[in-house]
Amino acid sequence: MRMNWLLPTAMLLPALMGGLLLVWKPRRRMTRLVMVGVTLAVTLLTVVWTAALPVLSVSLGPSSSAFPSFLLKTDEVARLFSVLTGFLWLFGGLYAFFYFKDDPLENRFFGVYLLVLGALIGLDFAGNLFTFYLFFEVVTLLSFPLVLHTGTPEARTAALKYLFYSLSGGFLALLGIAFLSLYLPSLTFTPGGVLSALSFSRRKELFEALIFVCLLGFSVKAGLFPLHNWLPTAHAAAPAPASAVLSGVLAKAGVLGILRVVYFVVGPDVLAGSWVQTVFLWLTLATIVIGSMMAYQEKILKKRLAYSTVSQLSYSLFGLFLLTPGGLEGGLFHVVVHALSKSALFFAAGVFVTVTGKATVDDLRGIGCRQPMTLIGYTLASLCLIGLPLTGGFVSKWQLATASLAAPLGGWSLAGPVVLLLSALLTAGYLLPPVVDGFFPGRDTPVFPRPAALPILSAVVLSLGILAVGLGLFPSVLTSFLSGWIGSLF
Amino acid sequence: MHGLLLTAPLLASIAGGILVYLLRGHSQRLLRVLVGAIVALTSALTALLLIVHPNRPLTIFAFTDRLVLQLRLDGLGGLFAGLVACLWPLTTLYAFRYLAKDERQNTYFAFFTMTFGVVLGIALASNMLTLYVFYELLTLATLPLVLHPMTKAAIRAGRKYLCYSLGGSAFAFIGLVFLTVYADNTGFVSGGVAFSDGVSSSLMLLIYILAFCGFGVKAALFPFHGWLPTASIAPTPTTALLHAVAVVKAGAFAIIRLTYYSFGTARLRGTWAQAAVLGLAAITILFGGVMALRQSHLKRRLAYSTVSNLSYILLGAALMSPEGLTAGLLHLVTHSLIKIGAFFCVGNIQQETGASYVFEINGFAKKLPVTFACFTVCALGLIGLPPLSGFFSKWALLRAALGEASPLAVAGAVALIVSAVLTAVYMLIVVVRAYAFPPQENGPAQNPLLRTAKAANAAMVIPVVLSAAATTAMAAFIDPLYDVLSRIAAGLL
Repeated sequence: MRMNWLLPTAMLLPALMGGLLLVWKPRRRMTRLVMVGVTLAVTLLTVVWTAALPVLSVSLGPSSSAFPSFLLKTDEVARLFSVLTGFLWLFGGLYAFFYFKDDPLENRFFGVYLLVLGALIGLDFAGNLFTFYLFFEVVTLLSFPLVLHTGTPEARTAALKYLFYSLSGGFLALLGIAFLSLYLPSLTFTPGGVLSALSFSRRKELFEALIFVCLLGFSVKAGLFPLHNWLPTAHAAAPAPASAVLSGVLAKAGVLGILRVVYFVVGPDVLAGSWVQTVFLWLTLATIVIGSMMAYQEKILKKRLAYSTVSQLSYSLFGLFLLTPGGLEGGLFHVVVHALSKSALFFAAGVFVTVTGKATVDDLRGIGCRQPMTLIGYTLASLCLIGLPLTGGFVSKWQLATASLAAPLGGWSLAGPVVLLLSALLTAGYLLPPVVDGFFPGRDTPVFPRPAALPILSAVVLSLGILAVGLGLFPSVLTSFLSGWIGSLF
Repeated sequence: MHGLLLTAPLLASIAGGILVYLLRGHSQRLLRVLVGAIVALTSALTALLLIVHPNRPLTIFAFTDRLVLQLRLDGLGGLFAGLVACLWPLTTLYAFRYLAKDERQNTYFAFFTMTFGVVLGIALASNMLTLYVFYELLTLATLPLVLHPMTKAAIRAGRKYLCYSLGGSAFAFIGLVFLTVYADNTGFVSGGVAFSDGVSSSLMLLIYILAFCGFGVKAALFPFHGWLPTASIAPTPTTALLHAVAVVKAGAFAIIRLTYYSFGTARLRGTWAQAAVLGLAAITILFGGVMALRQSHLKRRLAYSTVSNLSYILLGAALMSPEGLTAGLLHLVTHSLIKIGAFFCVGNIQQETGASYVFEINGFAKKLPVTFACFTVCALGLIGLPPLSGFFSKWALLRAALGEASPLAVAGAVALIVSAVLTAVYMLIVVVRAYAFPPQENGPAQNPLLRTAKAANAAMVIPVVLSAAATTAMAAFIDPLYDVLSRIAAGLL
């Protein structure tokens, strides 16, 4: 029996429950907890079940050639991203429930939180470029209230900036998508791309320009320099659970978009060696460095982590633009590693900010005495992002470095490992001070006025940190999955 | 028989309007019933005309054997007439409530009704002379609607409107004369008419540009758009009509007739004339968007948005290809619905809260939930978010523009994308302010005459909801609609 109904279910269940929460506004917290918790758990189960099944697809919409149709389809990429999304959303929901002890707007948060989950799953399951674009814009619109949550003037400015940058990125992508639709037999995602060299050779310059514009549009969401300005403010202004999923999962929508266009629509062989690839390699390397440098000099903890996201996402983008199997595998491995680590870091940051009542890194002295578990989780996640051996981050960095050296890029090949190393040093520089200061405060131990955070919050941080490191100890879990299908894209 | 069908809607509305004017001294309730009946009757007669679809022309009056006033129904005319006939009753319903306390509403409704007939005349005109006559009548019929408040600002707006329109008509007249003298057939023929030999092509192109700009005044083409934002201070039913249905779309309609049914695209494609009109359309798209950003008055913001969106239609038409025309026509339909909904929403806001400026509406979404929900739908439709109707017309326009080889067409596509960004900013700021910003300290919220949302009258809410619903539901009918439009564009209907 075809289980195609699983696809819309995975998408609509959280969306409808989110809408229900917003409209019904249940008064008792327990009701809300049950609704949210059950929805998240069931959604995760559904996507895992979907991942275990062979390819499913659902399509509806215009059948004419003038307008593209709506298509949901599971392939390996969809499985990877949807399971990652569902998994982190569950952790985030759990964390959020205990984080928002008495926030009157908690209901709105959870309603929007579930809506965004539905839209993201739709994005992950999108089977053609039009459906992807649709969900891309919908995700932007729905996640806007998450950034806006606290309602302060800074949050409003950050949210509006996020909204307009992301929508603009979407429109740039649309320009490219419309052009591609004229020259491609279909916009459906096909491993290795459907573009034949012949079909675009007549208008090659325009074609390359519009592909560039399209990829640039998606890379706005992935925080590529110089279009990254929205990310630090937005991820810092959002409440900690939202920041975690924004950095950990939502920003990956941009990476997914680029992945889809390059590997499933256009084809890596078309772009290999072109100026498009060169420019993007430049930009990703620049972003890695600039993001790390900005993080290093940033004092506010959440903003520091946000700049770190800017930098780390470009690791994945760099791997994608190498246009080799090794690069792609490294990039995707890092997507998972970063999702786990950055979520842990933001969750930890939320705990720290709540306990100290302050926002900067300097105020974290001695926090290890009050929140040891949280700080250990933070340390594990940090080591992972730095790329210490035996952590997940090391595996992905190693893959990226070797892929860069192996890629047919001439002088470029060396730039990759150099930048990665430089960034690793900077990452250590901006992530480790809270660890050192936290566990070894020096002579006078500071007093923290607020009570300790609930242990469940620390447990979330710690478990994500352990998972991130665990990926380093048992990388074959992921690498064997990835290498199984990456070869088919080339 | 066909003559009766063709003239009945025009007679009903124009004669009906005159009748209302003559009876303007009587009770307002009585005249409202009469107006409602006339508008409903006219729409019904138009529907009947479209169903029966007679093909033969009807000559109303013949000045000479070449200069005749003639009506005929073809695909393009039927599309415009149908659209107008759908939106007029909606606007009438809205206007009844909006002008409920207005003392001189009888005069207003007289000209309101007459305008309906005149626009139908434009739609059904079978040659350029008839179109031109009704075009001039449109200016005269809508002028009292703009002047209605009789304030200094209204009179100034009316004067500007009159001057611009008459100026534009003068240039359009040049095109009419040229066609009458040199064209073999003075009527509208799909694909264009044949011209007598010996007509210099550069003269023809020049005349085309002049006529394009002449009609472009009503279509708010840059730099002839100035009347539209000034006229936006008129009562909301006027601006909804002017900006969504009657006047601006009549301008676009006339340009399409000029380009595809008189001069013919085969003659115009690839010439400097096409480059000029493509350039003007692209400039207007960007200009309208940028100016809309700078307006803090809600209606003026929407007015400049109309300036920009009309040129989407003109861009499609200026591509001089069947895909371009189809895309332009699709945007004509989708934009009318979206913009009329947006104007109705703004009218509701103005009536219920007294707020006219963007900075005054902070936090008002709680007071007018339905209105702002519909405004959000219209805003997203205008931006072009799938699966709302605006996305499909934008998609079609992008494909039509990118499919052309000329760099100007690609520049037009880029202009569309930039305009989408601008639209997102100037529309969503309003939405975000209404929903997420805390209410102002000394703003209209302190107005003691403020009523709650529940008091918003159904007559002003129903048209808003219907527009938003149509914007959302159009995705289900987009295939058949596009099919009809491409058949019109190919000259088959």
